[in-house]
Amino acid sequence: MTKYPLIDGHNDLALRLRMHFKNKLSNFSIHDNSNFATDIRRLAAGHVGGQVFAAYVLCTAQDKDAVRLTLEQIDVIRRMCTENPEMELVTTAEGMRNSTKIACLISIEGGHSIDSSLPALRMFYQLGVRSMALTHNCNTPWAESSASLYPNYQRKNNSLTDFGKAVVNEMNRLGMLVDLSHSSWETARSVLKHSTAPVLFSHSSAYAICNNVRNIPDDLLLLLKENGGLIMVNFYSSFVACSHNANVSIVADHFDHIKRVIGAESIGIGADYDGAQGFPKGLEDVSKYPALIEELISRNWTEEELAGVLRLNFLRVSFYLFFKNSYSLLSCSQ
Amino acid sequence: SASAPPLRLSSSPELNCARDTHNDLPWQMRSLFNNQLNMVDLNKLNTTHTNIPKIKEGRLSAQFWAAYVPCDTQYKDAVRQTLEQIDVIHRMCHEYPEVFKFAASSQDILDAFEQNKTASLIGVEGGHSIDSSLGTLRTMYQLGVRYLTITHSCNTPWADNWLVDTGSEPEMHGGLSEFGKQVIWEMNRIGMLIDLSHVSEKVMNQVLDISKAPIIFSHSSAYSVCNHKRNVPDDVLMRVKEKRGIVMVNFYNDYVTCSPTANISDVADHFDHIKKVAGSSIIGFGGDYDGVTRVPEGLGDVSKYPDLVAELLRRKWSEDEIRDALGRNLLRVFSEVEEVRDHLNGTKPDDIPIPLKEVQNPCRTDFGYQDKSSSTCIKSFYPLVLVLSLLNKLL
Repeated sequence: MTKYPLIDGHNDLALRLRMHFKNKLSNFSIHDNSNFATDIRRLAAGHVGGQVFAAYVLCTAQDKDAVRLTLEQIDVIRRMCTENPEMELVTTAEGMRNSTKIACLISIEGGHSIDSSLPALRMFYQLGVRSMALTHNCNTPWAESSASLYPNYQRKNNSLTDFGKAVVNEMNRLGMLVDLSHSSWETARSVLKHSTAPVLFSHSSAYAICNNVRNIPDDLLLLLKENGGLIMVNFYSSFVACSHNANVSIVADHFDHIKRVIGAESIGIGADYDGAQGFPKGLEDVSKYPALIEELISRNWTEEELAGVLRLNFLRVSFYLFFKNSYSLLSCSQ
Repeated sequence: SASAPPLRLSSSPELNCARDTHNDLPWQMRSLFNNQLNMVDLNKLNTTHTNIPKIKEGRLSAQFWAAYVPCDTQYKDAVRQTLEQIDVIHRMCHEYPEVFKFAASSQDILDAFEQNKTASLIGVEGGHSIDSSLGTLRTMYQLGVRYLTITHSCNTPWADNWLVDTGSEPEMHGGLSEFGKQVIWEMNRIGMLIDLSHVSEKVMNQVLDISKAPIIFSHSSAYSVCNHKRNVPDDVLMRVKEKRGIVMVNFYNDYVTCSPTANISDVADHFDHIKKVAGSSIIGFGGDYDGVTRVPEGLGDVSKYPDLVAELLRRKWSEDEIRDALGRNLLRVFSEVEEVRDHLNGTKPDDIPIPLKEVQNPCRTDFGYQDKSSSTCIKSFYPLVLVLSLLNKLL
């Protein structure tokens, strides 16, 4: 892993900062914090070279102050990544590839953050956001969630409206990754057919191994393969084992299964640390990634396959989308 | 009514080139076209004060475009709408790259001048646009916003507006609240210009007391000449001078003559008065074009700046004083604000949120706040709240 430092697709440390510290970074020890699964010391121990941090706001803020809260989460991630010398904020795939620190990317977790506004989406891109999950656990007016926790925007047979397609088009144009974790399977299917760029599931696992609606069934995996996209496997016990008891082996089963169906080049890691409580034994926090890699090595995964899973697959997809800031509003005279 | 036809300057080009700090064309883009720029050609648009041919004729070398959203968006979707106005300014600049050069620094203004383009900057007009959030203020700075007008014509949860001085609105804070001061200092820290047009007199004075950097009035005129509460009284003019700030004269008739009609001479009276009281180093142009309906005869649109300059020359303003007013003063203030920012580099961002009770409203979730005013009752619920939130998150 020292040769191929991991790029993980989904971490919710920013959520913890909001919940526990109201985003007061000064009250938080980012180097060493045993209350959470993530800190700099353990990221280094886990050989993490890049981390996508989610700027997430609760679904109850939809149609209220979701936009403002999202700006605040983006601000806290930016501050965290620019105030610590071990980290750096990147906004290009090249920056991610070449970084010798812990490179941070910002993602948004839920289309409710844009309040159905393409300008807001563009401004988020300008702020460095490079990936957005179309929904979290709530439907938006234009896309459907895999969860039915909230009554908003329920509809039949319209899992991705015309505006939803416009959102996907704009994300393709800007060079922002479309993240289908949390979307309903129907929405995912529509996006996979419509998107002209590779998409990703930033923190979802294999439905065939554990039949949770947050996981991805084989037919969607095949569509993902055609699209050239990526599934970044979630480690959360309830999603890998469909129970609270899980271990490294069952997580590795997901990797084996997905490799069998669509090949190792479509796989990455999006563990979802600090986004949930209850991770497998042996994978409790961000220092434990090597345990998974060792398990995969023992299952005869090749160096090439593992290099892909660790970072090269993600870089390939990102290079397609945001190689250098080819789209920039702030330099319109160039 | 004009006497002799106005002189057109034939001397150095800088004397013709105005830098204006307030134009509401972006709001016209929203009202007329719902921000669909493909429906309008700025080369041909003729229903606004501003279009490209007029900009060229007026030799407008820099313009702060207002990202304004009305006060009735406060406590609703002000933030999102403001992002949309910021976006339309960026796109306008992108659509006409031979005319506009987006600028976010004093150096950018100079570079645009070298390239014979109009430097285009963004000012957000109204503290309600940041929804009492310093994180939002910082991200708007990241998006290129370089001034924030502390209030529009409504109080925010942390600052009073000018209507309080007319008696038509109740005073809420006696000027700035404690959080209001945090906003001012954070603006100093990040290098955002503080704009005091639209604020109450107490806010004017309190900001002048505490700001570490010079301030601006982006579109306000002289109270002594026309006693409208949107204008700046003489004692404040003198304080602005002490703090090396600027007052950019608004051309709206109602603020120029306190009546529905005005002419170039009336506007020049404001320039003369401010110069008399505080000197030419604090004056500039903040026409408020496309933000108001009644503009003076002879200053009907943005092509007319040179005519105002000609009037000032006729009133024996020196070329030096005119250069100050046209743009050097703005550049001075902007550079000094940048210096203060650089000097404060290394200080931590302010991450203390506004107290919940000062800002609570039906459209605001209190996600992140732990209500410390309650007793152990809330504390014992907290783990349950945490678990429920996490369950929400991870399903």
